[in-house]
Order: sequence, then structure tokens, then C-alpha cells
Amino acid sequence: MFKIDKPLPMPTEESAPFWEGTRRGELRAQRCGDCGHLRWPPAATCPICLSSRQEWVRLSGRGKVYSWIVVHKSQHPAFWGDPFNVAIVELDEGPRLHTNLVDVDPSVIRIGLPVEVVFDPQNDEITLPRFKPAA
Amino acid sequence: MDDTRQLSGKAAIAGVGLSRFGRVPGTSAMGFALEASAAAIADAGLAKSEIDGVLVLMPPQMGEQHGWASRVAVHLGLAPAFCSTMDMGGATAIGMMQTAAALVHAGICKAVLCAFGAQTNPQGILPTMFGSQFAIPYGDVGAMPFMAHVGRRQMHEIGITSEQYGAIAVAFRKHASRNPLAQKRDPMTLADHQASRWIVEPLHLLDCCLVTDGGGAIVVTSTERARDLRHGAAKLAGFGQVHSSEIVHPDRHEAGIGGGREAGEQAWRMAGLGPADVDVVQFYDGFTPLVVHSLLVYGFCRPDEVGAFVAGGELEFDRGRLPANTAGGLLSEGHLSGFNHVAEAVRQLRGTSTSQVPDVEVSMVTGYGGAPHEAPPTVAYTVAILTR
Repeated sequence: MFKIDKPLPMPTEESAPFWEGTRRGELRAQRCGDCGHLRWPPAATCPICLSSRQEWVRLSGRGKVYSWIVVHKSQHPAFWGDPFNVAIVELDEGPRLHTNLVDVDPSVIRIGLPVEVVFDPQNDEITLPRFKPAA
Repeated sequence: MDDTRQLSGKAAIAGVGLSRFGRVPGTSAMGFALEASAAAIADAGLAKSEIDGVLVLMPPQMGEQHGWASRVAVHLGLAPAFCSTMDMGGATAIGMMQTAAALVHAGICKAVLCAFGAQTNPQGILPTMFGSQFAIPYGDVGAMPFMAHVGRRQMHEIGITSEQYGAIAVAFRKHASRNPLAQKRDPMTLADHQASRWIVEPLHLLDCCLVTDGGGAIVVTSTERARDLRHGAAKLAGFGQVHSSEIVHPDRHEAGIGGGREAGEQAWRMAGLGPADVDVVQFYDGFTPLVVHSLLVYGFCRPDEVGAFVAGGELEFDRGRLPANTAGGLLSEGHLSGFNHVAEAVRQLRGTSTSQVPDVEVSMVTGYGGAPHEAPPTVAYTVAILTR
């Protein structure tokens, strides 16, 4: 038998500040330095004006469930096992993030459920943002 | 975009070919591409020396990805003036037909071979991490979770039910059961669909396409040349494509039914036709929600009527207003990345389908593909309108 680890992000120059943020307990996104557009996911250029000037801003970490699914059969062997949820959370600021819902009774998961971020360290470098029902 | 109406009907499909397909162990993607190519050239009744353009799609997990079109050309003993490997996933077959039509119209090529091959056995070669650091760590890997999100949003926004998805799968299986080459021919009931295991809730196993080894090919030439060939011309009256992100991209995502509409509008405008003119359609049906999506964005149904439309048998070849996926589709015939859809669209025009619709004059085919596992999920939509 052998074990396949769940894949973790390998930060690039575009995404490193995001992962640095989660490590410190902050959810961040880029804001365009020219047109002010708040973009997700991180990228080298703004999808609205193509500017490469940008700054990182801290987000509230609050949002609502936009979609949720239950994976029973994954294409990736690291995710074989018990069914688990994957959600897309729409943050109050607009971006939609893939994530998992934690500390939640499966029967209460619905589109529109208010949620807030929790930070889930995977190792010294990577902390994944996950979401739980808002207090 | 310049006016494409000048291109309408100028190029045509002269030949189509499929290789063996199904679960075929011990074979190669290249072998399937060559087998399908030879079949398409024979179907066209064209001398091999007349093929002077080659466009090729191979699946991304083939590893050594470069030069596929040249390699197919060399294996077939062709001397093309233009070769290109193309990659838009399931949208590629139609994208190739567009490219081929443009090459023929521009005088760069006289006849263009569009070919595809895939080998998924023995273990469904799985890249360890193909995609995005913002999706995959959460277990959102590949097309199935993506389409489950699409289904969840359809259920939320327009009230589609799993039983209505099931009616689509049942209709296409009915067509597959009449197609001797289809991978899945056993009859399916709505109860079978509902009882099939979850893959990714809210999608059952029978909401998902098959896994298929095989290949397909298409020969495109001028309508003038095609008219003198064995089967005549299946004219490319209209085509269109659009590339968009879905579900998670707040910059371009429309609330409601989502992307793809522009591909249809381009095709309708070019052909001078509309949804009401379509006699038969082959929708890219990787998953049942994609059929619902196509009915909406290409103008066949309103959001409030699409559920009743599919549940009422309107997609069935012998009783529906819009016969669809008459060879069984990706859901039941096999997953040949839409090359089988183009082949069936051509058969419907020729009158040789195993679920033939009477007097077909307008035969539509759609494509869909890209990178569903990216954040944002990024997909290409393609549409072609074929006429006699």
C-alpha cells in the first residue's frame, strides 16, 4: 500500500502574498493600482485594464455559500475515501473562492448560508482558508 | 469580427470517420487518430494527395505534447501546406472546422483533415496535479465537481430537478440502444438514473459521460469540391465560438444562465438561421446539466420551461420537437470529444443515422471544453450549423 498526499499549493510570485496572508490569519486579494478593481484569483495583470500595478488588501473573511457539492468519487486518488463537501463562497467583497465548509452540520448547508473564514495550517508554509457558519 | 456571412456555405464537410471505440486496452491514441483519419478520407472519397492541411487534437495527458499534427501527417504520408495542433478540449472539433473553413477560403489549403485520438486505459492516466492552487487543495478536481456546481446553481436558479436531468440521460440512451456501435446500449429508465450512485452530488453516475478510447476525424474542403465527392457536401452554414469563465469569475460571470450565448449568436447570424430552423442537434453532453445549459444559451428554451421540455421527451428522435444526440451522445455512445457528434450531425444530413429524423435540412452541433479545474474555471463554447 502507499499513501498519496493531498496536493498543496506551490506559491508563485503572483500568489505568494496570498499564502503569506493566510499563514498570518489574513484573507487577502489584489486591488488594481490603476482602476481599483478587486481581482480574484491572483494574477500578474488586471482583467479589466491590463495594468500590472497592484496592492494587496485584507478582506473581511465573511461571505455566503454560492454553491456546494459532495464529492463521492474524486478523479484524484488523494481524495478517495469518505464523501466530503466542496463549496464556493462568495465573499462580501465579491470574489468567489473554492473551499470546504468545516464545523458544520451537513443538513444545514444551503446556498446563501452566511459563513466566515477559518485558517487551517497544513505545514509551515501553507495555511488553507476554509469556512464555517458565521457566528 | 468582420462579416462572416461571406463564409457561409463556402466550405463543407466531405467525410467523417470514427475509429474503433469503447474500452479498448493495449491500443494507442496515435493509432486511433490514424485509423479515424483513414476512415474519414475514405468516406470523403478523396485521394490522400489532395489533403494539404492537418489539424490534430490529442488529450493533454499524452505527456509529450508538441508536434502532434506534424506527426499525424507524417504517419499518414501527407505533405501538408499547413499543420497545427489545437487544444480546446471538447470544443476543438468545431474550432478545427472553423479553422479549416478559413484555410480553404484563404486559399492556403484545398482540403483539411481534422483528427483526434485518445487512450485512457489501463488506469485513466492521472496527472498528479493539473490545475489550480486555489481549487485542487480543496478536492475540487476536474470536470465532475465543476459540473456539479453548475447543476447546483441550475437547481437553485431555475428549479431544475435530478429527475429532469435523468430524462435527458434516458432519451440519449434510447438513441444509443439503436446504435450498434454505442458503448452503452442497455435500456435505461428514470428509476435506473435515480438509483445510480452519487459521483459528485447533485450528479449521479448516469449524469456523467463515458470514458472512451478511440478517435475521430473530419475532412473539410470547399463546398464546390465536396459536391463532386462520394457523399456530397454537408455545408458549414454557420459557426461561432466564445471563451469564458464560469461560476467563480465575478468579472465576467453573468447572474443566471452563464456563458456561451455569443457562440450561438455568431453561428445564427452567419447562417441566417435561428433555433426554430434546427431539425436535429448534437449537444456536447459531458454531463446532463450541460444539455440544459445549451438549451438555454442557444435559444431553444426559456429558463422557466426547460425542465418540462426535457422531461416531456422533446429531445427524443421519434416524438420530440428537438431531436438531440441521436447516436447516444457522450453520455451513452462514447466520449470521442465531440468528433462523434460531428459524425452524427453529418449522418443526419445524409439520412444515414440509426435514429434518423425525416427530411433534415439544418443539423446543429455544439462543442464545449477547456479547463474546468482552473480557478477560475475556463471554458470554450463552439457551435456549428450544417446544411445540405
